[in-house]
Amino acid sequence: MVVGDLAQEVDVVVVGAGPGGYVAAIRAAQLGKSVVIVDKDEVGGVCLNRGCIPSKAIISASERLMHIREASHVGIEVSGDITVNMPKLIEWKNGVVKKLTGGVSQLLKGNKIEVAKGEVYFTGPNSLRVMTDDSSQSFKYNDVIIATGSRPAELKILPFDGKRILSSTEALNLQEVPKRFIVVGGGYIGLELGTAYAKLGAEVTILEGTKSLLPGTEATLTKMVTRKLKKLGVTIVTEAMVQGGEVNGEEVTVRATVKGEEKSFVADYALVSVGRKPNTEEIGLDNVGVELDERGFIKIDKQCKTNVSGVYAIGDCAGGALLAHKASYEGKIAAEVLAGMNSVIDYQAMPFVIFSDPEIAYTGLTEEQAKAEGYEVVTSRFAFAANGRALSMENADGFVQVVAEKETKQLLGVQIVGPEASSLISEAVFAIEMGANAEDIALTIHAHPTLPETFMEAAEGILGHAIHMVNKK
Amino acid sequence: MALYQFQLPDVGEGIHEGEIVKLFVKPGDKIEEFEPFAEIQTDKAVVEIPSPVTGVVKELKVEEGQIAIVHSVIAVIDAEGEVPASEGAEEAPQAEEKPAEEVAEDAPVVQPSTPVEAQEEAVSHINVKAMPSVRKMARDMGVDLTRVKGTGKNGRVLAEDVKAFTTGTTTEEIVLPTEATPAAPAIESVEATTPVTPSTPATTAPKAPLESHGMEERMPLRGIRRTIAKRMVESKHTAPHVTIMDEIDVTELIELRKWAKDEAAKANVKLTYLPFIMKAVVSALKEFPMLNASIDDAAEEIVVKKYYHIGMAAATDNGLMVPVLRDADRKSIFQLAQEVTDKAGRAREMKLAADELKGSTFSISSLGNLGGQNFTPIINHPEVAILGVGSIEQKPVVVDGEIVIRSMMHVSVSFDHRLIDGDLAARFISKLKKLLSSPKLLMMEM
Repeated sequence: MVVGDLAQEVDVVVVGAGPGGYVAAIRAAQLGKSVVIVDKDEVGGVCLNRGCIPSKAIISASERLMHIREASHVGIEVSGDITVNMPKLIEWKNGVVKKLTGGVSQLLKGNKIEVAKGEVYFTGPNSLRVMTDDSSQSFKYNDVIIATGSRPAELKILPFDGKRILSSTEALNLQEVPKRFIVVGGGYIGLELGTAYAKLGAEVTILEGTKSLLPGTEATLTKMVTRKLKKLGVTIVTEAMVQGGEVNGEEVTVRATVKGEEKSFVADYALVSVGRKPNTEEIGLDNVGVELDERGFIKIDKQCKTNVSGVYAIGDCAGGALLAHKASYEGKIAAEVLAGMNSVIDYQAMPFVIFSDPEIAYTGLTEEQAKAEGYEVVTSRFAFAANGRALSMENADGFVQVVAEKETKQLLGVQIVGPEASSLISEAVFAIEMGANAEDIALTIHAHPTLPETFMEAAEGILGHAIHMVNKK
Repeated sequence: MALYQFQLPDVGEGIHEGEIVKLFVKPGDKIEEFEPFAEIQTDKAVVEIPSPVTGVVKELKVEEGQIAIVHSVIAVIDAEGEVPASEGAEEAPQAEEKPAEEVAEDAPVVQPSTPVEAQEEAVSHINVKAMPSVRKMARDMGVDLTRVKGTGKNGRVLAEDVKAFTTGTTTEEIVLPTEATPAAPAIESVEATTPVTPSTPATTAPKAPLESHGMEERMPLRGIRRTIAKRMVESKHTAPHVTIMDEIDVTELIELRKWAKDEAAKANVKLTYLPFIMKAVVSALKEFPMLNASIDDAAEEIVVKKYYHIGMAAATDNGLMVPVLRDADRKSIFQLAQEVTDKAGRAREMKLAADELKGSTFSISSLGNLGGQNFTPIINHPEVAILGVGSIEQKPVVVDGEIVIRSMMHVSVSFDHRLIDGDLAARFISKLKKLLSSPKLLMMEM
């Protein structure tokens, strides 16, 4: 204890102001608690500042460039040079981020939540210290919600230098379009950024350790994406085990064993996106006594409770799927539980979305998983090529696939690859959560001409009477 | 080794089901024959069920808090040696199909359930039984969705079903612990044939979640406490209670008891006031038989009982129990005293048989000198009256125009106004007063 350090007493402290933390803080405040939220950076966390939002801004910009380049397909002739002003693009992106973080700050203020900026160090299960370079403030609380999130995992043999060997954070702030861009790790982060930079003009090489991109995602979905990447001129190297690399001036070399053969790849930037690690070290969690799993994630129960009474954990640092929307969901649960409500994690379907080209989104069970769980299943697939809106958008690659239980036709899962898959998945998640069967979807009127019609058609296909395709017998 | 299908044994006369209050074992545990296996609550007694065989618990088919039906399989035990034929049980089909060795290899791998696993459970794709809002409502009302019969499409549970479930106007879909008893009756018919299990009061309002205003501890409402809660609400709801209070001059009774106590001690009997009070009550009941009656709601008849089984409220660590002293009219004071000591003791040890806890026609609740003067006891439904005995205190009272100090006992009688009117209750209490204030008179009536 610092002499004269007077602890401020408060009902709830939320550690981390990302999409889990700020949502938890607001919910707790709504329930009448006095709340302090702590973060060492801007509010909004990785999601708003260094993740979901900035990457989507860059992806949208790159798509717009493609539209302009391909405008002649639809009879629009664009003359003159089309150039990318990267500093301006980044400035625009930063503006988007600022609007959102500003919005979050306003919301916190409006809910009378105190924001404390600084590094957190737990001094016990009911106390912590927030430190900045020149000050320190202690807090005492009844409950704490740990929402410290995760950070990009580093490869020891290819450590980040922030200039040429980049994590996603730096890759979202490049001041120029790379001429050559290496992506180490073909997961969704690498894929999204690799695609965007390829569209902006970079020569992109993706090195993936396993046999295919997006490990863990159904092959029929990734196939469409792989095909498009090749069309964009992206080199995909699978079964590539990175051995190391070095920076030489303005160049970076990455060495890898590809199917047993030593190879070198040279580029001006390399993005290393090989997973994420929980932020559960160096914040004094030992003093709290919370139990971590072998990978460093905090163990929680169905109510986001840790093994220590009054200590909750949510979002990435608590493991499971590392998704902003999962963190927000858990944030609300934790806040409600500490306020005495009996809320529990109780969902049937988690949406997963990948802003690849075409977009991938899925929820619930795949056909394979459903069979493995012992279901008798029936599936139906409807192609965007038969959807008027998709064709009129000149974006008709992909399909919607519905997996249902054979007897009741209840929806078990939905997989989408195609335009706006990320938005379309919401209806599927809702349907599964409501226990809907294919008939419920088929009997729901879907506006014409829109992309969601494909979901209705796929559901009708389950029943054997889709209108806009010939049904399997 | 062979698989033994452990059926819930018949724990008492006329009992068809019981709540599993405690399980002493978990899958994978080794258990010896006659070692305690589970505690089952029936009516107001908790009965310990021993394991019938020695072996390893392979599977538990019931959980704590669940109602199990007699003769349903509650566990599968991988038993050592010869397996006794279980009464009326059919071997589980899988046990016949697999050779014993294979079964042994299949021994349960007990995985400790970690919090993370519990979280994964939450998203496992069992069929959705209800919409998210209904699931939340059920949680808030403390309703286990697996026990609610859905009336929606594909058996989906609707908000109405959950509400109906809490108000008791719908069937409880009992999750039968095993397919070995396919013809097990639904709970309504069980209740119809089981007089000892009070049905859920039909009017319990839908419960709002409790608000929290500070540090709290939550524990499940189970076993005897739950039965007490149910019974109290049922009684208060069914019978319009009126309580009449009085003081009885027991100075003479105290002397009598003091004198008799030593005599009783010689016979190893602990003599309290209760046997005297019981005797007085029996005399008064004989004079006013309506207080020894019940209302048969179904038949719309008044049942006046010609026997005098007196319930005596006894405090135990697990909550209130009411052992019954049968035929109190035919027993001597010493006999009653002996029985009071015996039954109160066994109530505290949870060793009363189920039939020792039922059949009372009138009950007495005595707070003795724990504190409090008069109180308003709740009738032990379906009885129609109860005597509450409070403290005995020395007080100045007026006798023959003079203030004297006398020992006064505080009594109250709560009665069911559907059947008994105030004048009758007043006459009943004055009869008691007369008998207890002059025990000589009581002797004359014994």
